Amino acid sequence: MQPSELTAASFTLYPPKARAFAVANVAVLQQLPLALVPLLLREVIAYDVRFPAEQRMLDDQFAYLRSRSRDERDRLLRGFVSISVPEKLAAMDWVHQPQQFSEALTAHLWATHQMDAFRAAADEYAAAWREAKPDPEPAVPRLSIVLIGQGCSSSPHPLFRKLRPYGTYFSHVDPANGWDVIVTTVTVRATKHQEKYQHWYIDGGEAADLPSRGVSVVSYAGLAPARSAILKRMRTVINSGNGGPEALRTLLAQTHPEDIGLDVRNDATLAHFKTSILTEGSGTQIFSTTFAQWTAREALRRAQPVTMLVRFAPRQRQLPMNELLSGQHLVNETDPVGSLIDADMGAYYTWINQQRLSGAEKSNFLAWFEGKNEAIAIGPSVPRGVISPSQMTIEKLIAMLG
Amino acid sequence: MYDKLNLLDPREASRRIAWSRRDFLRSAAGVAGAASLFSFAPARALVQLKNQKVVVVTFGGGARDEETFAPEGQENVPNLVKTLFPQSTFYAQVVNRGILGHYVATASLATGVYETFNNFATVPPENPTVFEYFRKDLKRPLHDAWVVAPSNGFNRIGESDNRAYGSGLGAGVILPKHLLQAALPAHGTIDYAHLLRDNYETPFYTPELAGSEVEMQQLEDILKLSVNDFVHHAMSLASPDELSVYIAKQLMRQMAPSLLWITLHDIDIAHSGTYSLYIDGIQRSDRLCLEIWNAIESNPEYKGRTTMFILPDFGRDSDIDAGGNGFQHHRTGDTLSRTTWMMVLGPGVRQGIVIDRPVQSIDLVPTIGARLGFSARFSKGVPLTEIA
Repeated sequence: MQPSELTAASFTLYPPKARAFAVANVAVLQQLPLALVPLLLREVIAYDVRFPAEQRMLDDQFAYLRSRSRDERDRLLRGFVSISVPEKLAAMDWVHQPQQFSEALTAHLWATHQMDAFRAAADEYAAAWREAKPDPEPAVPRLSIVLIGQGCSSSPHPLFRKLRPYGTYFSHVDPANGWDVIVTTVTVRATKHQEKYQHWYIDGGEAADLPSRGVSVVSYAGLAPARSAILKRMRTVINSGNGGPEALRTLLAQTHPEDIGLDVRNDATLAHFKTSILTEGSGTQIFSTTFAQWTAREALRRAQPVTMLVRFAPRQRQLPMNELLSGQHLVNETDPVGSLIDADMGAYYTWINQQRLSGAEKSNFLAWFEGKNEAIAIGPSVPRGVISPSQMTIEKLIAMLG
Repeated sequence: MYDKLNLLDPREASRRIAWSRRDFLRSAAGVAGAASLFSFAPARALVQLKNQKVVVVTFGGGARDEETFAPEGQENVPNLVKTLFPQSTFYAQVVNRGILGHYVATASLATGVYETFNNFATVPPENPTVFEYFRKDLKRPLHDAWVVAPSNGFNRIGESDNRAYGSGLGAGVILPKHLLQAALPAHGTIDYAHLLRDNYETPFYTPELAGSEVEMQQLEDILKLSVNDFVHHAMSLASPDELSVYIAKQLMRQMAPSLLWITLHDIDIAHSGTYSLYIDGIQRSDRLCLEIWNAIESNPEYKGRTTMFILPDFGRDSDIDAGGNGFQHHRTGDTLSRTTWMMVLGPGVRQGIVIDRPVQSIDLVPTIGARLGFSARFSKGVPLTEIA
């Protein structure tokens, strides 16, 4: 099937909002190359459970495509047109299984040495429509706070080395009341700016109770039953003797929140997000540090929040991968030092992911060795590449960021 | 000041990072004498030596510059930087234009052609391997070429299905983990579980091989190890790569193969997203490379006539590329994930030389061919004139 053959009836099985969106844009979809359309439909088909920021981006993207003349679109997408897509892929049911098509296309691009050309086409296209439809500035400057080192008395290496060039490193932080101050900060921001999914708290262990309901909370401990259910599904494939990577990917891609015990009645969007963390993230099911880092990345990328609190907790020690996947080691020892190193890198990645969003020049960032004396602050009002021996409290640091 | 990162062209950013190798090279080359930097002229290309041996060590789990040879990464590879680099010719930009999956990339290294098969399929390479060229052209016996490979997925790497070569002309392949598993039933697995870690990219994928008879035969006839000795020694080791190097050294002692290929794999734990374990893997690989070189230098069969090639099969994604998640994977195909390095040591190899021009990973096989005297006629690479 080619995109030119699409009709409104092609989307009958889509969820309501996705169907309406696709039908409204079917004329544009018909004119786009096959190497691109299923990738767009991969986003469209999930429209009903996407975050508002994602829905806006999809709206913007199609508004941009509609606003271009046929010639302009053809010029813009010539890179995609030049990608050869074999008949076998065209024959897939890419309208209803765009994710499977995407995986097959990826394998084909690698095997036929077209990956670089595809990347170039995608970069050119993304740059064009993002320039025409830039993301709006956030309601308030973004703030991310990352707590690392729980359970670790000291660090074997200097902390925040990758972040130091961008902010001020403080070596004499008074840890007293630090957590309470951070919770208050997040709560106040969530109370003042009540847009949904704009404030997040991600915990690599057990989530603390926050006084505000306006904060989206995701925790490694809270998802223990879902993680266990995912691992059970993975073991089913492994033990069947018939499963390879493709079988497992397909199984994971077809996993719905209900399949792993997540409740979609109150917040289907968040339930689907949690499912994606466990089905699309590598290592999120078994290592809490990976879970916290990847969840923060995905929340920043997809929901574009203004407040992000990430609290890393010690992960389990490394075991043979098959044993970790077996889920039999519920009381495995933790590795606090290794977790601190993971989290230090995780803090750096969280900052990078925040800086990819609009308003980056005004965004603020704080990373703290929880309960200890080391922290780094990054923001427009904070000098870069400076080591400060000043006595500081977490309250002062947050006030300094503004 | 606070640039929005996605406004940077990711490719340009990666290119900048790749070029920062020069910074490392300048600092590290200080050990060997900066005068030799970038000044190589291929006037003294090695005359083919007699009775040469080659040991190839690949990292089947890419490692990035910033965790290895960039200034901030050198603390992770002290043996490569301080001990081996001064004795080596160092290729600073080895580009892999093929599929960035470890089995298919290692197969591409071994054939000198970018193989295109499914990375997770248990299939042989389509093109003749270096082992087949070596054995057929030089009429070498079976036990003169060996592969020590990390996981079951690599069990077909020793021999292609090319009709002109193929069956019976490849290398012997030892999968140390499979060997250990075969030896374990009488001894239990609890104390050895750390040595049986699996494919990190798809940890569930461990295709079963034939029964354990082959392994037991390898253990006793080839490695001259009793099951008890092998299992007992394995208990003292910390990781699958240590087990691989232990087996490789035993092979060198017992069989002294002229062509030995060792693929390390611990680094690939990075796919689990744990930075500390990724760094542990790099540090272990660094130590094991020195251990292998010391084994070469202390073995009369190898000393003074062995060329060792050390190279990762490719890199990993850059922190900057929004399509990836930094060190965790190698999925973006960005410049950093495609670019790595190669270190060459041995007789006639100029020491402390840095080659800054880009070369390709598929140049390895024709280069080995030029040194050992066979023709890698199906390879798409070219011999590296500086050492061939």
